Amino acid sequence: MVKVTYVAHDGTQTTVEAEDGDSVMHAAVSNDVDGIVGECGGSMMCATCHCYVDEAWQDRVGPRSDGEEDMLEGAACEVNDRSRLSCQIKLGADLDGLVVHLPEEQF
Amino acid sequence: MALAPLDEEITLEQLNADPYPIYRRLRAQSPVLRVASAGRTFLTKAALTKEVKDNPELFSSDDPNTPMKPAFRAHTLMRKDGEEHLRERKAMMPALTPKKIQSDWGPLYEKLAAEYVSRLPRGETVDLFTELCGPLAARILAHVLGIPEASDEEMQRWSQRLIDGAGNFGWKPEPFAASDEANDEMDLLFGQLCDKRRAEPDGSAYSVMLNADDPIPMSQIYANIKIAIGGGINEPRDALATIVYGLLTNPDQLAEVRAQQAWGKAFEEGVRWVAPIQASSRLVTEDTQLGGFDIPKGDTVMTIQASANRDEDLFENGEEFFVFRDKNPHQAFGNGPHHCAGAHIARRTVGKIILPMLFDRFPQMRLPDPGAVIWRGFGFRGPINLPVVLN
Repeated sequence: MVKVTYVAHDGTQTTVEAEDGDSVMHAAVSNDVDGIVGECGGSMMCATCHCYVDEAWQDRVGPRSDGEEDMLEGAACEVNDRSRLSCQIKLGADLDGLVVHLPEEQF
Repeated sequence: MALAPLDEEITLEQLNADPYPIYRRLRAQSPVLRVASAGRTFLTKAALTKEVKDNPELFSSDDPNTPMKPAFRAHTLMRKDGEEHLRERKAMMPALTPKKIQSDWGPLYEKLAAEYVSRLPRGETVDLFTELCGPLAARILAHVLGIPEASDEEMQRWSQRLIDGAGNFGWKPEPFAASDEANDEMDLLFGQLCDKRRAEPDGSAYSVMLNADDPIPMSQIYANIKIAIGGGINEPRDALATIVYGLLTNPDQLAEVRAQQAWGKAFEEGVRWVAPIQASSRLVTEDTQLGGFDIPKGDTVMTIQASANRDEDLFENGEEFFVFRDKNPHQAFGNGPHHCAGAHIARRTVGKIILPMLFDRFPQMRLPDPGAVIWRGFGFRGPINLPVVLN
């Protein structure tokens, strides 16, 4: 199991235990974490799972995947260099304890 | 395992008139059911419909023999999978993202909505369905697509003819003759506007597709616009009519929605309660199982999102319109790679602009006889009239 902490726009923190290999989006949706919608189920088609990777974790999470940039451009809230589509971040032991911050709205 | 049970009693007429009591029974008794009249295996539980939509390799959208082909004079992205679908969809997406809709299109939508709402006569009984829901949906879409030169009437007529042709599973000649005529008119207009949209990029879907670095073929650009016309008017039109009905028949909820400005929640509940697109088909590519039954390769399953949206496993009192649900994980926009490309536009225009504007301008709006409202549709569903008194 891998721990992930989601920090909502209002500062509320939710920590969930996710399966190895799960995505940050899916772990949020299956644990009822508000602020991640992930409507397309991880097909990079909806830009509703936007998150900001915590600075301390940026290197370990790594770069955006192919095609992610284009879709991310369309996210509802401001996109910065920490922005990712959380469906594209796969969880493993190396990301145990990951912290991501959520935008104010997803659509 | 065994094949799913076969039903020979449910008729398309029953589904068209009111499918909900049937779906309720199927969820309880036969969530996987081969329905002879539809020639499809119905899936009525949310977990099953989601499983199918999330597995596009096993449950393909590709249908080489769809009547959509002659209706649209093209094999469209709705009926493609994988890279091919992705490439055509991505060509259009820059015009449809949440950011684009908020920052660039927002003011235009406000202006169009204000124009159409303000011309409604005060103090009279008006059929909102024909006077507002349809024409405004058509106008907004014409702008999004980059064909505002088309009239509301043309947009609505083309849309209906494409839908009728796409659903012409009996392969009768008349619906295709009608869709052919619509295709001729659309092709002519798109051809006339092409140079202008290329020379003066305006962020519309047509302009974005024409000016892409690596554009998709012209035939697919046309097909994409047609798919958006066929699939982009009914849904916001029916969603708007459904939500207005839901709010007017539940005045306590309307009061609370006003107080909290919870129009977005009202939107989500409306499309959950009566999903404008009720069902979708997927072709099974390998022998598999669903819900404890064998599903053979070559079978066509039908995900009934209308039923998934009322599934007792996810929704308390799902048959009722109730805006203030704790959670509302509906599947009205589908999921997976074919997730509705117009979802954000619908949320923005219907949920954030039109609903508050309409109830603000006519705070005493009434639906004198809810029983006079007629609901229709199996594939697409909504009220086909909405006689309200505007005050």
